[in-house]
Amino acid sequence: MALDYRKCAEEISANIGGGANVISAAHCATRLRLVIADNGKVNKKALENVDGVKGMFESNGQLQLIIGTGTVNKVYDEFLKVTGASAASKDDVKKAAASKMPLWKKILKTPGDIFVPILPAIVASGLMMGLVEALAKAIPSFASSGWFGFLDMVANTAFALLPVLVAISAARVFGGNVFLGAVIGIMMVHPALMNAWTVTPSNQPAVWTLGFLKIAQVGYQGHVIPVILAVFVMSSLEKRLHKIVPEMIDLFVTPLVTVLLTAFATFIVIGPVFSVLENWVLAGAQWLVTSTGGIGALLMGALYPFTVVMGLHHMYNVIEAGMLSSATLGLNIWMPIATAANFAQFGACLAVAIKCRNAKLKSVALPSSLSASLGITEPAIFGVNFRFMKPFIAGVIGGAAGALFGSLVRFTTSTDIYNTAGALVYSAGQKVPLGATTYGVTGIPGLLAINNIPLYCMLLLISAGIAFAVASVIWKEETEEETTEKTEGKNEEKSGVNEAEEFASAVRPAVITCANGKVLQPVKGKVIPRENIPDETFSGGVLGDGVGIQPEAGFVVAPFNGKVSSVAESQHAVGLEANGMELLIHVGVDTVNMNGDGFTCLVKEGDEVKSGQTLILFDIEKIKAAGYNETVAVLLTNSDDLNDVVCG
Amino acid sequence: MKTFNYTITDPVGIHARPAGILVKEIKKYDSAVTVTKGEKSVNALKLMALMGMGIKQGDTITVSVDGADEDNAAAEIENFFKNNL
Repeated sequence: MALDYRKCAEEISANIGGGANVISAAHCATRLRLVIADNGKVNKKALENVDGVKGMFESNGQLQLIIGTGTVNKVYDEFLKVTGASAASKDDVKKAAASKMPLWKKILKTPGDIFVPILPAIVASGLMMGLVEALAKAIPSFASSGWFGFLDMVANTAFALLPVLVAISAARVFGGNVFLGAVIGIMMVHPALMNAWTVTPSNQPAVWTLGFLKIAQVGYQGHVIPVILAVFVMSSLEKRLHKIVPEMIDLFVTPLVTVLLTAFATFIVIGPVFSVLENWVLAGAQWLVTSTGGIGALLMGALYPFTVVMGLHHMYNVIEAGMLSSATLGLNIWMPIATAANFAQFGACLAVAIKCRNAKLKSVALPSSLSASLGITEPAIFGVNFRFMKPFIAGVIGGAAGALFGSLVRFTTSTDIYNTAGALVYSAGQKVPLGATTYGVTGIPGLLAINNIPLYCMLLLISAGIAFAVASVIWKEETEEETTEKTEGKNEEKSGVNEAEEFASAVRPAVITCANGKVLQPVKGKVIPRENIPDETFSGGVLGDGVGIQPEAGFVVAPFNGKVSSVAESQHAVGLEANGMELLIHVGVDTVNMNGDGFTCLVKEGDEVKSGQTLILFDIEKIKAAGYNETVAVLLTNSDDLNDVVCG
Repeated sequence: MKTFNYTITDPVGIHARPAGILVKEIKKYDSAVTVTKGEKSVNALKLMALMGMGIKQGDTITVSVDGADEDNAAAEIENFFKNNL
């Protein structure tokens, strides 16, 4: 069934306090991302039950609704029309959200914000490098052909000049001029500087002497943190200068001063200091993975999904980029850990998908698990695993086990391994760890980037298998079935109420009018004359004049503003009074004998009701199954005392 | 004023249909008819009120008939109860 985008958007809007409560709205591939002014107005329960919303969670100050690929953009378009909110880019939403975030989280989030936009370039380059190397391995003559030289050049462009991409992206994140950011990035890998990858103890860069200051003539190939900081300084300088420089000279003074000051800061302070710091971080990560007997990897595999929940996992790109350019590694050995963590969430989610009976949950869990197997775990984590917690824990356990395995295995490489700088790290015949030639890919696509496919497959199997098994065990079926049934029951009831609200809010015709007022149609369905009600008491007018309604939906709403004068013990009939009118709404014929089974009366004697308020929910199928007629009698019991009564 | 007690035998008690025909019967007379169950009393001409008492099979009610034709009415109404309720 196709989703009604408009309805979905309207329901979302209704449950978040309307358009006025939306600071900004954006969407990504699967999610509607909203920043809400007053979270108190958000009805989370109701949001989850909106048809089309597969799940919701709050993260980084955003309210995120999982809607799905291909549909989220349509719901988003309708949402903008419904709420009158203007389109915000994802960045705007993130910025609005960031203002609500503590500083430490903002800092941790920054590398992710910078890396996410450039991931397509990284993934393209990485996969291409993997393919080119695989071809060279399979066809020796290819390695010496012009094809290889050309494709290799194409493939490693993004890596060789990574600081440029990082600088541009960082300028956008920090609000600086993108082109000035690009200048800083290019400057840091300028051809006039010695390539950082070619530096060896015997091949040291020359030095420029500026008075007492010395600048090494070396680039920042493969570095990330110094680039981000340089652009941060640049952006801050630029913004400040725009404020203090008179407008008439702003156009040339500000860029000039910005670039010049940033250049000094970069090459004298930021670069030297932070490339050392970065090397320590890298060494630390590398030590964690390779030298702790697997304990570090085990911990990281377990903690990884928590960083996904916080949206901080993209910061690992910094580590991964560093590993690839490292002269001692040349391999992304972080990737197997990430894969173990992600693939374990896939296994846990798959267990839920297979075990659950609830159709809605299944329809979320199955595609989410597939997406997770391809390395995009957010739908599985937020939509399923984290929601039920136990599958998430199962994923954590599977991820830890897989990461442990991935960090401990070694195999003999049949080819030489070069880092992104092109320097030889391992030669054929040496024992090497499991690692990838790129980053940004995990799970099944990781097969293209990994250096040992059989070991990688074992890692996938261990992670997902353990998570699947644990999730199947700790996620007990009986309890799950119970809760599923309960929520299903609630949903049904809820949908009855929703339908009733819809019916009540539409224009309803009057079924009875008299001098004292009107009785609006209380039940959805075909109105028939009183005489045709299949019961002689009703049809004969003993209980007063009125109409019958052949119900199409199982609800009764109040036909006018009034007071509840009586409620049948078996919940199938209700009496109402208003302005001298006494009205009986009686659902079905002889249904008193059902003793209330299939009927829920939502009001009690003495209640004041508003026109359109839901009074009774009933189950048409149950009435039929019990052998009774389901016609609803709507009768003015004191019609004899009223003037000008017109029915139908 | 005439009064009599009656124990309901109709399996569904004084519900919509029985209440309807009871009201119809009572309307024939000029006397005011009151139905009492426990501490609650209602005018028996008021269908809603009557139904709202939730009188069930086995409940004993007190019916009071008060007015010009009360002798005749009370007897007829008691008969009506025996035959219908």
